[in-house]
Amino acid sequence: MSEKITFKELVELIAKQSNQSQNSTNSFIHELVGIIEEGLKKNGSVSLSGFGKFELRWMKERAGRNPQTGEEITIPGQNKVVFKPFKSLREDVNQPFANLESKIIGDDPDASKPAPKAVPLAAASSVASTKGDISIDDLLIEKENPRFPSAPVKKKPPLTTPSEEKLAREVQEKGTFNWSYAAAVVVVLAAFIILFFMMQRSGEQTDIAPTADDPTEQVLTPIEPVIEPDEQAADDDEAEPGEEIEQTSFETASHSLQSGETLWGIAESQLGNPYLWPVIYYLNLDVLDNPNQIPAESDIEIPSISDPDNLNEFEREQIALGYFSLYEWNRANNPDEARYFLWAVGVFSPDLLDQPPSQVDPDDLTFARNR
Amino acid sequence: MNYKELIERLASQTGHSQNKTRQLLGEVTSVLSDQLSEGKSVSIPDLGTYGTKINDEKKVYNPHYDAYILVPPKRVVDFTPSSVIKEKMKFLETSDE
Repeated sequence: MSEKITFKELVELIAKQSNQSQNSTNSFIHELVGIIEEGLKKNGSVSLSGFGKFELRWMKERAGRNPQTGEEITIPGQNKVVFKPFKSLREDVNQPFANLESKIIGDDPDASKPAPKAVPLAAASSVASTKGDISIDDLLIEKENPRFPSAPVKKKPPLTTPSEEKLAREVQEKGTFNWSYAAAVVVVLAAFIILFFMMQRSGEQTDIAPTADDPTEQVLTPIEPVIEPDEQAADDDEAEPGEEIEQTSFETASHSLQSGETLWGIAESQLGNPYLWPVIYYLNLDVLDNPNQIPAESDIEIPSISDPDNLNEFEREQIALGYFSLYEWNRANNPDEARYFLWAVGVFSPDLLDQPPSQVDPDDLTFARNR
Repeated sequence: MNYKELIERLASQTGHSQNKTRQLLGEVTSVLSDQLSEGKSVSIPDLGTYGTKINDEKKVYNPHYDAYILVPPKRVVDFTPSSVIKEKMKFLETSDE
C-alpha cells in the first residue's frame, strides 16, 4: 500500500541532507547495518536514539504444518528480529490519525454494529465519503491538528469541576464520529444522574459527584478536554486564598542538556506534566532559540512547580508567556501552526490573550478565542 | 548495545569522529522517519524493509470502565527483517541480557 522508494533514493536524500557524497553515505549505512548485526549478536538488542530499538525475540518451539503437504511438523524455537519504534517515530508516523480519540461506546459492542464502519483509508487519501455518515475524513478537517506531537492541542486538564452540562456539551462536540455512540453515552450519562439523585436521597453526604463523573469524563475526553477559562479562574480563587503568597519568580535548578533529550521529556519528568514545557523554553530564551532543536551540552534552568495539577497565578502566567514566545517563533518559522500556540496562551491565561505582549495576527486571535 | 557503544563502534569502523558519527546517524534516522511519516517504504539491504501500515479502528473491552472503547485507526511502523539477517540470528545462542 505504501509507496516505495528505492535504497538509492534514500541514500541520495541522506547524502544531500548531510552534505556527504553518496558513496560515503552508502558505506556508512552498510557499516551501520553491520554494527546493528554485531550488537544483536552480542547483546540481543541495539537502540538508535530518537528512532527505535532492534531486538531479538525468542520464539518457542511450536507445532506447525507443512503448507504444501499438510504434514505435521515441529517448528523449532528460533530468534526473530523485531524493531520497536520509539515514541517520537510512532507519533510522526501516526500523524494523519493523531487527532482521533478513543471513545466509550457503552457495554454492548453489538449495539454499534449496524453502523457502517468508517474507512481509515479515506483519512489518508482524502477521498470524500460517499456515505451519509460522517467519516474520519470529515473529522480530520473539522479538528485540524498541529504537526508537533508536543503541540498544545492535547492539553491535560488542570483541576476542573466536572458538570453534567459540560459533559453533555462535550458529547455533542465530540460525538460526531457516530451518533449511536453518542446515544450510548447519553444513556450512561442518564444512569449517572439517576444514581446521583438516588445517592443524595439516601442521605449520603459524601462528595460523590466527582467520583461518579470521573470515569465517563476521562474516557470521553482522554486527550483533549475543553477547559472553561471561567471555571478555572473560579478554581484559582478558591484555592486556599489565605495561604497563597504572591510569587514573583521561580526557584530554579540547573540542568545540563544531553543529546537526545527534549523539553517535552524534561517537563514530563521534572515538572510532572509535559504540556508545561514552554515554561522551560521561556525561562531559557537566551540559550534556546528553535524550540524544536535544542543545543546539547548547554545548561538550562528548570523552574520548580509544586503542583502541576493546581498551578498558581504566577506559574500560569509564565506558562502562558512560554506559549506566547512559541507563538512568536512559530509565526516567523511555521506560520500555519502558530495559532495553536496562541490558543494555548489563552488556556493558561485568558488575561494575557486580551493584552498580548506584542502584536498578534487578528485571525489567530479569533481562532484562539473561539476554539 | 546502547547508543553510546553503537556510536563508538561505528566511529572506529568508519574513521569519523564520534561527534560526526552521531550527526550522520542522526541524519540517517531523521530522513528515514521523514519518509515513513510520508507513508513511504524503503528497503535497506541486509537489514530489512521499513514501511507503514494502518491498523483499523477496533473495539476493545476496558475492564476499568466496564465498557467497550472504540479505538481509532492508527498508522504504525512496519519493519520486516531481511532474510539475510533473519537467517543469521535464527539459531544464535543468546546470552539473554
